[in-house]
Amino acid sequence: MNILVACKIIPDDQDIQIAGDGSLDFSKAHQIVSEYDLNAIEFAAQLGEATGSSVKAISVGAAAADDSKVKKNILSRGVDELFLIADDATADLDSAATAAELAKLANAADGYDLIVVGTGSADFYAKQVGVHLAAKLDVPYVSGVTKATVNGSTVSCTRVLENVVENVDVPLPCVVSILPDAALPRIAGMKDILAAGKKPMNVSAAEGVAAPAVSTVSLAAPAAVDRKCEVFEDIDSFVAAVKAAL
Amino acid sequence: MKAFVIAENEGAARELCAGARTVADSVVLCVVGAPAITGVADVCVHIDVPAGNIADDAYLSVKSAFDAQGADCIIAENALRPLSLVGRLTAALGTAAIAGATEINGTQASTMYFGGNGVRTANAEAIPAFIVGSGVFDGSAATGTDTVEELAFQAPANAVIKQGEEALPKADINLAAADAIVACGRGFSDEADLQLARDLAAKLGAEVGCSRPLAEGVDWFPKEAYIGVSGAVVSPKTYVACGISGQMQHMVGCNGSEVVIAVNKDKNAPIFKQCDYGFVGDLKEALPALTAAL
Ligand SMILES: Cc1cc2nc3c(=O)[nH]c(=O)nc-3n(C[C@H](O)[C@H](O)[C@H](O)COP(=O)(O)OP(=O)(O)OC[C@H]3O[C@@H](n4cnc5c(N)ncnc54)[C@H](O)[C@@H]3O)c2cc1C
Repeated sequence: MNILVACKIIPDDQDIQIAGDGSLDFSKAHQIVSEYDLNAIEFAAQLGEATGSSVKAISVGAAAADDSKVKKNILSRGVDELFLIADDATADLDSAATAAELAKLANAADGYDLIVVGTGSADFYAKQVGVHLAAKLDVPYVSGVTKATVNGSTVSCTRVLENVVENVDVPLPCVVSILPDAALPRIAGMKDILAAGKKPMNVSAAEGVAAPAVSTVSLAAPAAVDRKCEVFEDIDSFVAAVKAAL
Repeated sequence: MKAFVIAENEGAARELCAGARTVADSVVLCVVGAPAITGVADVCVHIDVPAGNIADDAYLSVKSAFDAQGADCIIAENALRPLSLVGRLTAALGTAAIAGATEINGTQASTMYFGGNGVRTANAEAIPAFIVGSGVFDGSAATGTDTVEELAFQAPANAVIKQGEEALPKADINLAAADAIVACGRGFSDEADLQLARDLAAKLGAEVGCSRPLAEGVDWFPKEAYIGVSGAVVSPKTYVACGISGQMQHMVGCNGSEVVIAVNKDKNAPIFKQCDYGFVGDLKEALPALTAAL
């Protein structure tokens, strides 16, 4: 079986700085794998081990996504091969256009039976790319997945929705979006990271990117919230201040 | 303009339809796999889902409802099944939704970016579609008719087969109504220590909530208990954040609180720039001291 996992490479929000004019400055930001996509990678890796399948990562991002540390990070987590489009032409895509690029990679990755996606990326958190990818490939889609077992031509999934848990059989090939609960990311060891450097990394430029359906008009820092910021190191003064305030 | 609202919960349907009225002349509500909701839109298109199917797979029916209604704008609830349906619908229409809209202005919407580290304004170049969370629009303003149009579920090829389902127990927690909230973060290394927060909460008449990591991975809290951009957005009089670092994803959920109190052992924790009163030290010292003094 071929398992693919989609993950997004983005700037670390801890490194975002606010410039004097209120704009967001990403220039000092490290590239990282979006937080909940690490869970998706782990889920795919475990399913790959359980079924003896290959696990390949597919990713679409800005030119900066072609970062050797991040690529090794992905490949140190039980992933066999990486397919990445890293190009500023694919830096700010909407969910439909992202899915269209991922679909190209899914086909380039020598076919797929199961595509795992994370719950949502840290930048937009739209939770839409998985379903758009399923629509693009014309395959079934389920979200909220916490468990999956492959039985021949279907995958049996437990999906945790807001008010109900559903047990479903999803015909392969399909796209499943997992909840972070489904698998906790491993901590890769030195050996895994060294081995990752020798795994195949297919990095390509964008080609024929679809016109966006959604575009960014402006990006700015949020309005600051006014707080007193009285910080104490002495417990008695702190308790007294809280008591006076309440 | 005619708005097409996709929602499954009555509260969300009210809010979204009321919001839709502010941008459109007429409002169609599409409810899939849940009881029809009336009195909030001009018409409720209701799609019943057979026991062996999932609501997410009603997308062919939803697309035909959208086409038949001649709608030109979409607003969807931020819940998993509506998210699947709006994804399939926008894909079929060659567009994509703007998620997490906090304000809609014609074809544009403001949204959180990086969990509140930024604010993004996005423009829909094609049919505008917005995903809207709870509390953005005022549900009490919703008005509508009793008209319900039933539409048959049309299964796609390769339909997902539902084998069974089990209702989740309703969590015994009501953060929205709380006057005070004691919120616990990863600074709690031991589940038993949560009692310190419960003791303080009992003293304050507060609910106990948490940051997302304590409701996910570790199951110390139900999902309803976490506060933040992807969880509950609260504005109590008093918010006590214990062992919470103060990442934006959490803070946007409690920034509306009147007074924010923070306990954290790291003096450089970002929470200290976003609180009124802070204590640099161990929560195991601070919480009992607060409980004793108040
Ligand atoms: C798309 C997305 C959505 C997210 N949505 C949410 C959301 O809605 N809500 C949310 O909360 N998070 C959310 N997160 C996660 C968020 O980014 C942070 O990871 C999370 O809020 C951190 O939780 P925390 O503050 O409890 O843990 P940490 O950041 O690990 O902080 C723990 C703090 O405890 C302090 N501490 C440790 N021991 C003690 C002690 N003994 N006494 C006192 N202090 C101590 C430490 O100094 C540290 O500051 C989201 C992330 C993403 C990517």
